[in-house]
Amino acid sequence: MAIASTTAALIALVCVWALLQMLVLGTLAQQRDQHLRYAEFRSELAQATAPTGELDYRGRPIAPGSPVALLSIPRLGLQQVVVDGTASGDLMAGPGHLRSTPMPGQAGVSVVMGRGSTYGAPFRRLATLSAGDRITVQNATGKVSYTVQDVRRAGDPIPPAPSGATAGRLTLVTAQGSGFIGAVRPGSAVYVDATTQQATPAGVVAAAVPSSEQVMGRDSGALPLLVLLLAVLAGLVLAVSVARRHVRAVLVWTCATPVAIALAWAVTDQVMRLLPNLM
Amino acid sequence: MSRLLRVSALLSVLAWVAAAVVVLLPSGQAAATDAPSGDGLSLTKTLTRHWFDPDHGGAPESDSRTVTVSVDRHTNLQARERIHVSWTGAHPTGGRAANPLGGAGFDQEYPVLILECRGTPDQVTPRTCWTSSAAERTSKVSNSQAVWRSDAEADPADTGRVSGLSDDEIVTLPSYCDTTVSTQSFHITPFVAANGKFYDGCDSQGMPPEATGTDVDPPNEIAAFTDLNGTGSANVEVRTATENESLGCSSTVACTLEVIPIMGLSCASATDPFCNADPTYFAGQSYDGDGAAPALTPHFWWSASNWDNRFAIPLTFATPPSVCTLSAVGAPVPFYGSELLSQAALQWTPAYCLDKDRFNWQDNIQPDDAAFTNMTSGGGAVAAEVSVREPDDEGIAYAPTAVTGWGIAFDIDRPYNQGEQTSLKLNARLLAKLLTESYPGPSYGQQRPGLEHNPTTLLADPEFQQLNPGLSGQVATEAAATLLNLSISSGVVTQLTSYLAADPDAMSFIDGKPDPWGMVVNPAYKGLKLPVSTWPLLDTWYPSHTADTCLNQAAESQVPYLPRVASPVSSFRLIATAMLLNWPEVQQVSLDAGTNQCTTARTPVEGLGSRFMLGVVTLGDAQRYGLNLAALQAAPGHYVSPTNDAMASAIKIATTADQKAQKKAQKKAQKAQKKAGKKAAKAAVPLTPIAVDEKDLRASTTAYPGTMVVYTAAKTTGLPKRTAQEVAQFIRVSSTEGQVPGRGNGRLPGGYLPITKTGVTARLYAQAQAAAKVIAAQKAPTTPTPSSTPTPKAKPTGSASVAPPPATPPAAAPTPVATAAPSATTVTDAAPMVRTAAVTSGLGGGLLPVLIVVGLLCGAITLGGRVWLFLRGAR
Repeated sequence: MAIASTTAALIALVCVWALLQMLVLGTLAQQRDQHLRYAEFRSELAQATAPTGELDYRGRPIAPGSPVALLSIPRLGLQQVVVDGTASGDLMAGPGHLRSTPMPGQAGVSVVMGRGSTYGAPFRRLATLSAGDRITVQNATGKVSYTVQDVRRAGDPIPPAPSGATAGRLTLVTAQGSGFIGAVRPGSAVYVDATTQQATPAGVVAAAVPSSEQVMGRDSGALPLLVLLLAVLAGLVLAVSVARRHVRAVLVWTCATPVAIALAWAVTDQVMRLLPNLM
Repeated sequence: MSRLLRVSALLSVLAWVAAAVVVLLPSGQAAATDAPSGDGLSLTKTLTRHWFDPDHGGAPESDSRTVTVSVDRHTNLQARERIHVSWTGAHPTGGRAANPLGGAGFDQEYPVLILECRGTPDQVTPRTCWTSSAAERTSKVSNSQAVWRSDAEADPADTGRVSGLSDDEIVTLPSYCDTTVSTQSFHITPFVAANGKFYDGCDSQGMPPEATGTDVDPPNEIAAFTDLNGTGSANVEVRTATENESLGCSSTVACTLEVIPIMGLSCASATDPFCNADPTYFAGQSYDGDGAAPALTPHFWWSASNWDNRFAIPLTFATPPSVCTLSAVGAPVPFYGSELLSQAALQWTPAYCLDKDRFNWQDNIQPDDAAFTNMTSGGGAVAAEVSVREPDDEGIAYAPTAVTGWGIAFDIDRPYNQGEQTSLKLNARLLAKLLTESYPGPSYGQQRPGLEHNPTTLLADPEFQQLNPGLSGQVATEAAATLLNLSISSGVVTQLTSYLAADPDAMSFIDGKPDPWGMVVNPAYKGLKLPVSTWPLLDTWYPSHTADTCLNQAAESQVPYLPRVASPVSSFRLIATAMLLNWPEVQQVSLDAGTNQCTTARTPVEGLGSRFMLGVVTLGDAQRYGLNLAALQAAPGHYVSPTNDAMASAIKIATTADQKAQKKAQKKAQKAQKKAGKKAAKAAVPLTPIAVDEKDLRASTTAYPGTMVVYTAAKTTGLPKRTAQEVAQFIRVSSTEGQVPGRGNGRLPGGYLPITKTGVTARLYAQAQAAAKVIAAQKAPTTPTPSSTPTPKAKPTGSASVAPPPATPPAAAPTPVATAAPSATTVTDAAPMVRTAAVTSGLGGGLLPVLIVVGLLCGAITLGGRVWLFLRGAR
């Protein structure tokens, strides 16, 4: 009975920690990421080095996760820095730009994905938008104002591609659940289309993106790091149990707790990368 | 005596039979190649050359040959249509050129030069004959070597030091012609453009704007070789005023194809060593840079000896598609849909817009599904032309409009410059290998992990070599590793991938099983689900750390390598043009010498003689441009070419299968009605497409797997009365008058199987008439759409289908510089209009609730456990 109770306690601990990080701590991390990226994007705009496409001003591919645009939706009171890349890890920092589409604000169809439930859930109220709402995007070259056309779910017709040199469409994508506790069941993709007639010229676009950056994509590239972190965690457990025989428990836990929390945090971040990017 | 009579009677009967065979045979052959018959032309002439043989002390010699030149078509030509010219009895060619087009073919001995010239045969002079470079018009050598001056047949005026021009023209020549050097002889053949403008032609500055050498459009003049037995052939592309305004051939300006078998100049003097020179090359030998004997080359095609030997084939051109925008009555009535119809539309359009009892029919190209949505949603399309049954087609009638299909065109030359390969066998697995980018190509692609041990190109594949013996030894290029395909959604891609899906070998290859020779699928395509309506480009690998600076730069931007080799394009017209010009769409990065920058550009045109490229084309385009088509595997071991008979066989199979399905559905319906106590309904002609199921075709030994039916789909209710009448009229006219084979306006071009009232296409004919009636009536749909399962719709493939439509076509191939063949159809917005795919994730939806529930449960257990332990301890 004692073993069962301890096991249950451990499982409960893991679950509660995971929930805590996804819903609370992740929000803190995301807010900090946004804060840093906002400052970075501001300085890039001032220096006119903000990327206009997948290549930076020196002609090198821009790093995933770097800021590419500022997205504001006044109706939702939302202002987020859009980062480049839509892999699960990129979206922990904020809404991400699908690299095989033009940058937000540029001519053509650009796609921005964001989380619907975890890590700050920037797009959690996306589906409450309705036709006529405004979306503003500040990208490297200018400020572009979009008008929301409609919310689109599975089975709805995809509007035709915009025609004209300055016509653009912004498609925001997130995951959403329905029914009982729908807010924490982000199972199906939902889209919001918004159009503009004053898009800025399109820059370089990536030819193709891996499946980890597609809608509901999962990034198995996190596995090696995850294994490494778990090994370190196991090492910590061993170290604690050895130390407890020689040193007072209070001392051991004082030293080990911050390390354990940091490791748990890092492990959960890697696990998140294995999960669908829009949840 | 009676015995003698009997024998002579028998002999005469035999003679009649032989004569009949001889007379009927050519028509039988014409039917076999599916070319609209009756448009050929054949001319015979005896050509003689006189010269003095230096080997026999300058004794007079003569060579006389009876040459017959035949063409397969020469009237109502469309832009860029290819004429197959063949000849017998000509002098065998020596010093065969690797590329016989344009000036590159001029260093051969005894070739057959073919030129397109403006004017009827009796109007043509060398001045109206098109050449793409000044070197083909102007000869400039030292006086002693000017062989044309000793042409025995020449007009005395042409033997002067400067000839070809009148005295007035010589005076006004610009300085770059530089005819004043007295030690040099000049012959200048100026070009007179259609608008009367005079081009001196002595330098590239004095040439018309279209004469850009090989930069924009490859030349269409050709110096083809004659085989050792005196026969030879060439495919000559004719250009109209649209492609070549200076030449200016059109429906109102007649032109002539001048075929000049080069016999060599007849020599006036026994002492001229250059005119009487022996050939440098043996017949059949390839050019190796030694220099051909000038008098035997086509350089002096304008000289009397050669010019008098010409065979003049009169050419007439069809009404161009622009006629409907210029002089049509009424606003255009837009139909949208399949590009399979475009060659028929080219001939059909003028028959509608120029007839005041009809309407201004406009055919626009759009992916099938987009066109259908366009039509049902009232987005501008009055009717859609689709080849498969579309979802949500309540209240829509489908009228069969054309039976045609797709084919795999190939430009392949036999090794060692032995001429063009005209037949090829391919099976589904070879197509799968090409489409999945599993051949790494002869260069950097071989570093692609997973493809190291694969044959580099189709040529090196033992499976291909076994099917097509004698095709090895060519130099393989990147183009031999791919199949030029369509980048956008199309019913053709659906049918092509269904063909792969119906083949167990092809599917097990895609699923990862190596073929018997050990070749494996590109890992990026492993497990791909087929059919699809858009072929995905999945490989994202790029070479890094190579010796090529430009490739390294491309690697920095992570530009995938193999998709650039595949480089699909946005229309079948572009594929046909690429095949016609032997110009692969393969994109390569290279250093531009001018700007010193790395650029991505199309690989150069493949030289005639060393070509190897394949593309997916429509049968209409293949027939129009004279492209060679591969025979595809039907039942195992049987390879079927796209002939009308093979298409008819496929239609027969499809209609039989469809009838069975209809009968079943009807029986079911009748049973249900009987049960309900109602009278059984009369069987009506169903107005839904028949499904051409590749599984059924694979069981046949005669059916062509690429067969497709194009339908005109329109609403049976809710259309304005006038529009409904117009659609019905189109269906009626196109299924009757439009199905008569021929080259004129309103007729059915080659590559389409006529739909007739009787025979295998009777069911299609009946359906078209019934659909026309229903559409004209515009009453509420009385015939409910049968509940039989619709044609398998292309399902989006796994990761390749992101719900938002791609903003740019995958690996956007730049549009070619060459002006593509015009068509009556306009390519419209190519973005596939599809419905949002359901992208769901059980993990995403379920994880958080599971965590909450498990957390609460385990928390409760822990709490309960602790309490229980505490209680027990207390006791």
